Amino acid sequence: MDVIQISDLRGRPRAPRPEEVNLNFSEKAVRELEQLLNHYPDKKSAILPCLWIAQREYGGYLPSEAIAEVALRLDRSYAEIEGVATFYTMYHVGHPTGKHLIEVCTCLSCHLCGAYRLADHIKSKLGIDWGETTPDGMFTIEEVECLDACDRAPVLQISDQYYGPVDDKTVDAILEKLKSETSPSTVRLADEIVQAQLHKRDQEKVSGN
Amino acid sequence: MAAAANEPQSVILTINDIEIEVPRGELIVESVKRIGLEIPIFCYHSRMKPVGMCRMCLVDVGFKQPDGSVRMMPKPQAGCTLPADNNMVVYTDTEKVRRDRKGVLEFLLINHPLDCPICDRGGECPLQNNTIFYGPSTTRYVEIKRHLPKAFPLSKYVTLDLERCIQCGRCVRFTEEISGDSQLAFRFRGAMMQPSTFELTDFESRFSGNVIEICPVGALTSAEYRFRARPWDLQTKPSICLECSNGCNTWFDYRVASLVRINGRTNEAVNEEWTCDKGKFGQNYLNSPDRLTEVFVRDGDKLIESNWATAFQQVSVAFQSAGSKCAALVGGKASNEDIFMLKRLFTEAFGSNNLDHRWTRCLPKSDALYRVATSIADFENEPVIFVFGNNIAEEQPILFLRIRKAWFRNDAKVIVACPEACEADTFAHTSLRYRPGTEAVLLGAIHRAATGAGGVDIAEASSITGVGEEAIRRAADAMKSGFALAASRSLLDLRNGEHVVGALSNLTIACNSSEKYNLFATSANEEGARQIEFMPSAEGKNTREILEACASGEMKALWLLECDPLSLSHDNELVTKALETVEFLVVQNHIKSECVQFASVLLPACAFSEKDGTYTNLERRVQRIKPIIAAKGSAKPAWKSFGELLLRMKGDPPPFHAHEVMQLIAASHQKFQSAIYENLEGEGVVIPANQSTEPQAVDVEYTAMEVPSNTP
Repeated sequence: MDVIQISDLRGRPRAPRPEEVNLNFSEKAVRELEQLLNHYPDKKSAILPCLWIAQREYGGYLPSEAIAEVALRLDRSYAEIEGVATFYTMYHVGHPTGKHLIEVCTCLSCHLCGAYRLADHIKSKLGIDWGETTPDGMFTIEEVECLDACDRAPVLQISDQYYGPVDDKTVDAILEKLKSETSPSTVRLADEIVQAQLHKRDQEKVSGN
Repeated sequence: MAAAANEPQSVILTINDIEIEVPRGELIVESVKRIGLEIPIFCYHSRMKPVGMCRMCLVDVGFKQPDGSVRMMPKPQAGCTLPADNNMVVYTDTEKVRRDRKGVLEFLLINHPLDCPICDRGGECPLQNNTIFYGPSTTRYVEIKRHLPKAFPLSKYVTLDLERCIQCGRCVRFTEEISGDSQLAFRFRGAMMQPSTFELTDFESRFSGNVIEICPVGALTSAEYRFRARPWDLQTKPSICLECSNGCNTWFDYRVASLVRINGRTNEAVNEEWTCDKGKFGQNYLNSPDRLTEVFVRDGDKLIESNWATAFQQVSVAFQSAGSKCAALVGGKASNEDIFMLKRLFTEAFGSNNLDHRWTRCLPKSDALYRVATSIADFENEPVIFVFGNNIAEEQPILFLRIRKAWFRNDAKVIVACPEACEADTFAHTSLRYRPGTEAVLLGAIHRAATGAGGVDIAEASSITGVGEEAIRRAADAMKSGFALAASRSLLDLRNGEHVVGALSNLTIACNSSEKYNLFATSANEEGARQIEFMPSAEGKNTREILEACASGEMKALWLLECDPLSLSHDNELVTKALETVEFLVVQNHIKSECVQFASVLLPACAFSEKDGTYTNLERRVQRIKPIIAAKGSAKPAWKSFGELLLRMKGDPPPFHAHEVMQLIAASHQKFQSAIYENLEGEGVVIPANQSTEPQAVDVEYTAMEVPSNTP
């Protein structure tokens, strides 16, 4: 987990002034956000879905500009948005994740079915440890709690897809297949969550039908 | 709703077998204080919403059953989130509660570094205190503690020590609920939860010092005070702050003869318990080597060290020969006593009436324009507040907190008109950002929109001021049935200041709110000087005329008390010329200022921490200060030196103590009669306003004024 670096002390930065923040949401994202805001009594309630929009718009993670943009669009303070984003593990704050996020369930059933052995295999194959990203920016591996798929243990979630039960061979095949897939699945996951947040009626409005 | 209205407003509950009656909905943590008990707390703060984060306030709770038995809840409840109700039975000191508290403290101490010997908070730390009384004496935790960086500077003033944090959220809630800047928030979760700013950027707040005081451990410490003293080595005396006109109450912590730190002191009527950063960290001038400690008299080109007798000799000769061609100007940090005695010296011994305390560009004669009707505490209950002019958070930070509280607690509609972005915009009902110089036009438009007559055309005003028509109408709509005005006398620094203030007065009269018109003083004792009438009477000269007369050589002698005209006046050219030209210049101040170079006689005065006296804040609250540290060098309270001079020149017996001066003030100014020193303990005394007739509408030119484009 990210902790404060003492070396950060020199040349203390200040938070960007509103006029210094670049707004990077696409037109579609702005429309989606407008629709989402209709769901709630105030803007504060829309922080979580708006962070998902931001995670999609900023390529699968939340750089500080994304936090600032969400804060401005929702009239909240930067610190509050950052606090919310860092609380939830599915938002990736600060550093980019790989295009494909491999989440290995290591809870009881998966553990008994060899989740850690499987994880070791993936880690040695990709040459990374928990929370790290391959140098080519393709994969990030994370350990997660129960994925609610014990019948398929050991189970992996790769962005928006569950895979299980898996063994070394099937994992190798999955990774090979993903390598050829250039569009980041983390962005797809964020988009799917945003779409799920929007009611169907809203989606029609957003797409202009 | 009808049922709720019929319910009694108070409830009866039993605490530790004592039956008490408390208001409905009062939190248990407050109710127990009524019978002299206390529940240990960390996260609870009476001025902020309860959150129940620390679990320290656990109590045993049960309810009386219809058959007379008491059914206890199986688990302890947090007293800070539990509202009192009928038939409630609370035990604060059972074996079970004691065990639970011990458990909570053991958890809180798991990751606490226990570096108390080098912690600033040691000795005044709620965590230490609660551990002594309620905590375990040993720890069962032998694993490695959480390690996080220590001494992280959150800002110039606040240093964060994350290891010590017990995650109570007081600081986070303060920035969210009280100061409103929301600079702090919790990052991460669980044991790694850390209060911090966005991306660890600078903690920019006008009120950041308060989080140091409300932190129940040593996690937030003052960068300035860090490692400078142990709390038990400090001596603490009550004082007040003179950095602006609010008159905040403070604790003055000192060691030997120097100030170590300032803390907020509770005065519900003034600052509640808060301080602004200017008041908390801006008082170091008291320890400055630039303090004026000796008497100096001019000898040719240089000032040579001298004594009071020589200085008095020269002063009395010079002022007596000047006759009525002498004048006195005071600044904001002179006490009521100083001002009164200076006035007496001038009117009785020198026979001059050229006295003034006002430094603004416009000096309207009408006393009604200067009136202040609403007290600081009253703002809390005002439904509509109109904040006009400069950034109120900068000019009157603590009044700003009250106005924000009115919005936060009571949903007040706050209309903010300010030429630049300001903090009050964040909670404004309507924010009117006008072009500088168009104040009068904007007020004219609001006047027209609210009353349908008078003022100026709204569409025209909208194009001149740059404020949308709809915003003007929206503001006028909220204000037309009455509002409280919060504006400051710095508006009189505008070139058409008199018209702007007149327009404000007209607007309040038109909206039936003339009894809520407030034009607040901007410096510590400006209101006091006004109440003592340290102003020219009919034949006397005002500030501008005095300076002009000095510059032309007509005025022979000038006395400057606690002021630096070069920083106070808008016209530095005139001031420089006046100070250069005037034959005899007395500068009496507690600190060296730029105008010292022109002085003929330089008299050292005591700062507020070194003298006895009273100050009148913006709501006319007279508050007492007592001497805390010894006077520096041969400095003496200014009122004392005036008394001595009166003795020399007229043979009047001088007052020996400040309370005698206050009696003299009360004798000549009726309204000060309630402010004699016996009455000033505690919250101070608000003296009555001037008896003035019904305020009349004044003629106002609702025109814009060209502002030179190079003004910042």
